[in-house]
Amino acid sequence: MTQATTAYQKPIPLKDLDNAPYWDAADQHQLALQKCDDCQAYSQPPGPTCAKCGSANVRFEQLGDDITATVYSYVVSYRPFLPGFQDELPTIIALGQLDQVPEVKIMGNILKCEEKDLQIGMPIRMTWVDITEDRALPQWIPATN
Amino acid sequence: MGIIKDRYAIVGVGESERSRKSGTTPLHLALDAAKAAIKDAGLKATDIDGFMNYNEGDSCTSHQLATYLGVRPKYVKDIQGGGASTEMLIADAVALIEAGQLNTVLIYRSMNGSSGTRVGRGYDPDMLQGALAGGSFVIPYGSASPSQWFGMYATRHMHETGITKEHLGHVCLSFYEHAQRNPKAFLHGKPLTMENYLATPDISSPFNIHDSCLELDEGNAIIVTSAEKAQDCTSKPVYIMGMSARQCHPHAHYWNDIDQVASDYVAEELYENAGVTPDDIDVASIYDCFSWVVMRQLEAYGFAKRGEVGDFVAEGNLKMGGKLPTNTAGGMLSEGYTHGMNNAIEIVRQLRHDYEGTDRQVEDCKIGICTGWAGPDIAGAMILRN
Ligand SMILES: [Zn+2]
Repeated sequence: MTQATTAYQKPIPLKDLDNAPYWDAADQHQLALQKCDDCQAYSQPPGPTCAKCGSANVRFEQLGDDITATVYSYVVSYRPFLPGFQDELPTIIALGQLDQVPEVKIMGNILKCEEKDLQIGMPIRMTWVDITEDRALPQWIPATN
Repeated sequence: MGIIKDRYAIVGVGESERSRKSGTTPLHLALDAAKAAIKDAGLKATDIDGFMNYNEGDSCTSHQLATYLGVRPKYVKDIQGGGASTEMLIADAVALIEAGQLNTVLIYRSMNGSSGTRVGRGYDPDMLQGALAGGSFVIPYGSASPSQWFGMYATRHMHETGITKEHLGHVCLSFYEHAQRNPKAFLHGKPLTMENYLATPDISSPFNIHDSCLELDEGNAIIVTSAEKAQDCTSKPVYIMGMSARQCHPHAHYWNDIDQVASDYVAEELYENAGVTPDDIDVASIYDCFSWVVMRQLEAYGFAKRGEVGDFVAEGNLKMGGKLPTNTAGGMLSEGYTHGMNNAIEIVRQLRHDYEGTDRQVEDCKIGICTGWAGPDIAGAMILRN
């Protein structure tokens, strides 16, 4: 867990009717995923109904705080496209394929990772960065850290 | 749409000047493009009874364009859209003509894409979180540019198929080479070598500036009518053999499922409607907002097998004289950028043999493909013949 030291300039995830349980869990340093009771598919990001079958029988499953994954894909950005990223270039943006639920891939920055060490398949672990007094952002770090 | 085969045609194409700073408005650019297309077809403005355009809130309306051409049209339509919208609106025009509502439709895209609103820039981050599907799961991580979104697909696809940065370079070099034969291409006089390409730093991996389309001020127009009415035009008609106007990725969200693209679904319907196979295609316009997008579509549309696309482009098959001369005016990487319409104009000119007797003409070409890509999530395409 990393504490932000200066005022947070980057965009803060906006909670809405459908995604609030995900971000509420994140604020508690937990992962919650939306799952369909009818077809058992996960919807990530969450939505009003199941994105696979359209069923309204969806609920959030708590996965806890011990979340490991492997890098499914990534980009390395050398220019900032949004405020707050200008001081942390290059930025690594990756999709982590969850070990527990391989059909789900979650986007995050990989922190504490050298570009030269980055590769598809590398093990990563979810961490939560406290970005404001009451908000936390799920991120990835190399699993060896 | 199989039943429309060869019954509709593109009879006029035209464009405005292209520049970094037009010093004028999208309405003026649209008027220039429309007048050029109407002249090309040998029609009068009042022969057009439908006007359509796609935009991203950065253009003039179809109604304005019609008004200042002195036309009181029956039908106007403006949609939000980028890539694949040319194909979609052509299909809409065909459907309205087929239904007996309209006779002849002018479709345009006009934008100050360099001096005015620039794609993907200057938006409020909180607005983007709401506007993009799943935006709250993307924007907080700094991913706001199509280069980053498509790059995520590209990295994985390249990993799986063995496509290298140098292969992407061959796409860029092929199109830049075409631009050197086209005096109207924005990068005419600016050839690219592999050495320069590989030495250019990435903006967002795996893409550098050469892998990315231009941003320019430009207007383009295309006129569609029935094969019957096409006989009244002075231009050589280019017939629509088949279309798959728009198809979608099976999941609405880009960032989770990056293994499939909408083009995979377009291809099957397209060839079936047109009654041809990839082997029958002589010349191509492949949507090229980024170099890799071309690679992925070559696979989707069956021009090279998965895993062999890198070799296909490295062998020079996209160049003049190759198996599939592609984006022969330079494409969006080096000619101009109007969300695909300039590529559609070029395929029409090739199939009319407008460049006969020059080194720009794909010799004896009869059948061409034009593809559109709004993103991995939405695509459309058409097959045309002379
Ligand atoms: Zn379901």
